[in-house]
Amino acid sequence: MENKKKSLIPKAALIKAWLIWETFPQTCYNYERMMGQVCAHMFSAIIGFLYKDNPSKRKEVMKREIEFFNVHIEFGSCILGMAIALEEQKAMGEEIPGEFITNLKTSLMGPLAGMGDTIWQGVVIPILLAVCIDMTRSGSGNVWGAIIYAVVIVVAAYALSYWNFMFGYKAGSEAIMDFLEKGILNKLIKGASIMGCMVMGGLVVNYVKATCGLKIVSSTSTYNVQESFLDAVCPSILPLAMTMLVYYLLNKRRWSSLKVIGLIVVIGIVGGVTGILAY
Amino acid sequence: MEKMTIIQAALCGVVYWLAVGNLPFVGLWSLQRPLVCGMITGLILGHPVQGAVIGATINLVYLGFMSAGGSMPADMGLAGVLGTAYAIVGGLDTDTALALAVPIGILGTIVWAGRMTFDCFFVHIADKYIEKEEYNKIWRANVLFPQIMCFCMTAIPCALAAYFGSNYIQGILNVLSGKVLTVFQIIGGLMPALGIAITLQYIFKGESKVFLFAGFLLAVYSKLPLLTLGIIAFLVAVVYVQVTSAATPVAADYDDEDDEEDD
Repeated sequence: MENKKKSLIPKAALIKAWLIWETFPQTCYNYERMMGQVCAHMFSAIIGFLYKDNPSKRKEVMKREIEFFNVHIEFGSCILGMAIALEEQKAMGEEIPGEFITNLKTSLMGPLAGMGDTIWQGVVIPILLAVCIDMTRSGSGNVWGAIIYAVVIVVAAYALSYWNFMFGYKAGSEAIMDFLEKGILNKLIKGASIMGCMVMGGLVVNYVKATCGLKIVSSTSTYNVQESFLDAVCPSILPLAMTMLVYYLLNKRRWSSLKVIGLIVVIGIVGGVTGILAY
Repeated sequence: MEKMTIIQAALCGVVYWLAVGNLPFVGLWSLQRPLVCGMITGLILGHPVQGAVIGATINLVYLGFMSAGGSMPADMGLAGVLGTAYAIVGGLDTDTALALAVPIGILGTIVWAGRMTFDCFFVHIADKYIEKEEYNKIWRANVLFPQIMCFCMTAIPCALAAYFGSNYIQGILNVLSGKVLTVFQIIGGLMPALGIAITLQYIFKGESKVFLFAGFLLAVYSKLPLLTLGIIAFLVAVVYVQVTSAATPVAADYDDEDDEEDD
């Protein structure tokens, strides 16, 4: 197997490099290079094994690796593994131009960041949070939801990042491209979206609160709009309408979340003062 | 009513620093979420359960908030720590705490932008280390110096805000009664719609759209807890993906059989 080729970097140093990547990628997050510096920090753990008697080559590697870089930490860790593998092969004498490594890194970071942010921050975290928030608020309240959430997400982040880093190191760039083009990913996203949508539907019912306070009083009886009309149509219809309105404004009208917060405040004040909305 | 001690306020500041300073990085996924930092803030103030419940409620607004490409739409760490601290000290109900936390979260984005700007300075220190071939010193430029700066920018203002803010909260509370309190509670009740809608931007697409309404109706009429609903949703997703991806090969098989019969 080609994968069994001899390597210059011992496993322990590789693990140390990965730990630096997963632990310190945003300790110095900045607008100029984004995560460029952590690549250099990570390479400082393994540079001693490359170009043992050629300091100027080492400096070349470090200068190349501190350039602009930005990706989703866990989903993009395969790029770092791949970059290490390429620098290692180059140090062993293979003809790999330096620009090739930089270009490969920058061309992969876009798709992996997009995919990672969508799956991780758009699906995994919201679903896990929704379930754990519900757990925390059930009964008279408890701390378990918060603890379970923190433990699960930290373990998942480290596990995914490690596996992905080693995958990138061993399998290289073609395998990453291959994976990106495969249908498995689309199925995964489709399934995750379906699950996410169902959970969000449940969340609307449980946590968005909007109640109509209007009461039509006649000489003989009082007509409570919320109880007699809205609840008869479908309970929680107002929270659903509110959520869909916000979604429409964000998605179709391209409102910023700040603007939406402003609108909610206005609706709250107007609705509360006039009595259209009740608590 | 309780009072916050200086030590408690300082610890709140440290929690905020760890949450937003990304040291270690996974703090962004864990401690920064109001569910988690609310619980820790509650622990500092001696009411972990109350802190977790308030934090959980505040977190509803920030369900699907994304920090992508260096942007931070709202500082949920500050909203979680200060929102929870004020709510516990002032004895606020969860929905009022949420309405109070959201503007705090908007204020916090200033800290993030400031940090992202000033951090550029340290990258050039790292450049100098590389120039001098002192690679073992890069960690100072990447972790030590920026985190000292980050501590000053986050922990100190947050501790001051926690200490002085919670003393004022008593006064604010006296104003917050009757109609004004109702308005705050209504706003707090509506706010989670934002968190859900932001999440929907990423997943409410194509075939998955109908499942939002399925989940909604199931929750309205079954009153199942979200954990159970989540498991059902997972199974539905698995079945749907299996059925839809099996559809093509099945159709092909059917054609083959047809051909054989014709022969």
